[in-house]
Amino acid sequence: MTSFTRRGFFALAGGAAALGSIASLRVAPAAALTTAGGARFFGDAEREILTSVVERMVDTGEPGAPAVRATRTIETIDALCAGLDPSATAPLPALLRLVEWGPLLFERRLARFTTLDAAAQDTALRGWMTSRIALRRVGFYALRNLSLLGYWSQDETWPLIGYAGPLLRKPRSVA
Amino acid sequence: MIESLLGRPGDLVTHADVCVIGSGAGGAVAAAELAGAGLDVVVLEQGHHWTAADFTQREEEMLPRLFEEAGMRQTDDGSVIVLQGRCVGGSTVHNLCYAFRTPDPILRMWRDEHGVADMTPEAMAASFERVERTLKVKQIRPDEVNALNAVIRRGVEKLGWSGFVTRHNREGCVQSGYCILGCSYDAKQSMLVTYVPKASSAGARIFSNARVERIEVANGRVTGVVGRAVDPSGRVGACIDVRARVVVLSAGAIASPDLLLRSAIANRSGLVGRGLHLHPSVMVAGFFEEELNAYRGIPQSYYVDEFIDLERDPHRGYVLMPISGFPGLTGANLPGFGRESFRFLRSFSRMAGLLVLLHDQSEGSVAPGSSLSRPRIRYQLTDADRRQLAEGLVHCCEVLLAAGAREVVVPFWNDPLVLRPGDDLGGILRRGVRQGEIPIASTHPQSTCRMGGDPRTSVVNPWGESHEVRGLFVADMSVFPTSLGAPPQITTAALADRTAQHIRARWAELSA
Repeated sequence: MTSFTRRGFFALAGGAAALGSIASLRVAPAAALTTAGGARFFGDAEREILTSVVERMVDTGEPGAPAVRATRTIETIDALCAGLDPSATAPLPALLRLVEWGPLLFERRLARFTTLDAAAQDTALRGWMTSRIALRRVGFYALRNLSLLGYWSQDETWPLIGYAGPLLRKPRSVA
Repeated sequence: MIESLLGRPGDLVTHADVCVIGSGAGGAVAAAELAGAGLDVVVLEQGHHWTAADFTQREEEMLPRLFEEAGMRQTDDGSVIVLQGRCVGGSTVHNLCYAFRTPDPILRMWRDEHGVADMTPEAMAASFERVERTLKVKQIRPDEVNALNAVIRRGVEKLGWSGFVTRHNREGCVQSGYCILGCSYDAKQSMLVTYVPKASSAGARIFSNARVERIEVANGRVTGVVGRAVDPSGRVGACIDVRARVVVLSAGAIASPDLLLRSAIANRSGLVGRGLHLHPSVMVAGFFEEELNAYRGIPQSYYVDEFIDLERDPHRGYVLMPISGFPGLTGANLPGFGRESFRFLRSFSRMAGLLVLLHDQSEGSVAPGSSLSRPRIRYQLTDADRRQLAEGLVHCCEVLLAAGAREVVVPFWNDPLVLRPGDDLGGILRRGVRQGEIPIASTHPQSTCRMGGDPRTSVVNPWGESHEVRGLFVADMSVFPTSLGAPPQITTAALADRTAQHIRARWAELSA
């Protein structure tokens, strides 16, 4: 059973340096071990929850903003988690399932997160962000920071914020 | 020649005069100086060997390549992010090149209060000069000050405060701004392009992806190290066994005490892993009408020293430093989510960051964790330090507003403080800095294996050698007897040079 530890969540809530795509390690000998078999970190159901979470975390309200599903945001996050020390990432699938059942567990609503409309999803996430339970807050920031790095590392999002991107135009090594 | 142990068919079993653990500002210098003296040196670096060709200027690719725990290393309660390098060259590969000598009052305090013999500017001069020459340290030219740093200088000068343009270790800098993601142009004179090649040219055998798991001791003297090859996700491979007469531990102020504690050595004082200082920092974001594109150009060339006077009080104070970032990193440091977060991020190109970095008196600790790559770090700010950080935040706002910011944001996680010209800044002091309520970061962990003259109050002697284990030296930021109160790169390198000269001078005795 996946361990659901406070320390594991804390490790995932990294802010400043946040997270990155371990798939990039394919250029190195390390990659052979890290990405062997192209294994995915999240299962299909977890990816669906993650996608719903990311969509709210990076919602800009701008009509021209690239949709999360139209980018490789989820693949970037998945690839990162697949390559990190398991003691840091092990709680993530359980965290996503908690988010999915959060409305029932924390709001006593007979609904799952992925079935809520956008406003209700925002309310649910705000409940995590401002919870008196430290573990929920830390879990929220883990997902928030993964979302932000995953989305804003996509080239097509940069015009929205006026970021010109790297000076070097090396081929991207992300999966 | 740097060999990755991931590609090695068999185990690494060898002998050396000196085994150096780590290749950052301490280890690379020690290795180069000792190999240059004709000693047989083996360097074991846990991280991978990345070069300029691998530095893609993309944060989602470079953060996991260059940083411990992919940039997620944190204190146990998740309140302070601790950024450390994990690659050949260590943190010098991602640092921003401030090149300060150890402040004179700090050297005096280390000598007078901690018994670090001969710790004077004059006695350290030769080491400083050697290091600065090798790192090509020079003054930043006026035309190299980018828009971000110019804005901060404008605000500081308007307020009549003290600040200055600093010296850096750069050569042929193209001012791309991607220093924190590794220099794609080999212009940053990090250990990766200076002391590591120097060590290699002098005959040192350097191994990457080589994690030392235990230092071995017999009859009161060090005998060698054992470990495993390790990939970035922690999976292990070949075994490592290096027998050496001298071991120089330079794994940084988190990993060095962790390794000593795991090895159960050199801790009769009970001080290994204790006394951790972090130089904690908190950022304020200012938003301007003008396009700054703060991520272009040299990121940190200006330095505000108005609020630190080490001559008067070497124990406290704080500095203000410009800071920029890239979209994901910046977003993670701004409060809120969704449209609230985007409200700030949409002005990314007009944003200037200014951080307060504290010369902290708070003391934390390091202890082994459940995973070899994740030591437990505990750190709680004292009330006095929290007050200093809050004052520093006020001053950051004052600088940004004086420079013309239309609004500044103090990024309290759940309830950011957005202030405009003329607003009362006292709300920052009333709210205060509480861990877990505002992002706090550290790039300078230090002081966990303190140097000193008294074995009861320090871990290593004034030359970096363990008081208890003959031939075991520590040469990294963990030996600082107190918080440094300044950017640590040159101090770390110069102390490692000093330790290396000491080992050279005593080699006949150490090798007997």
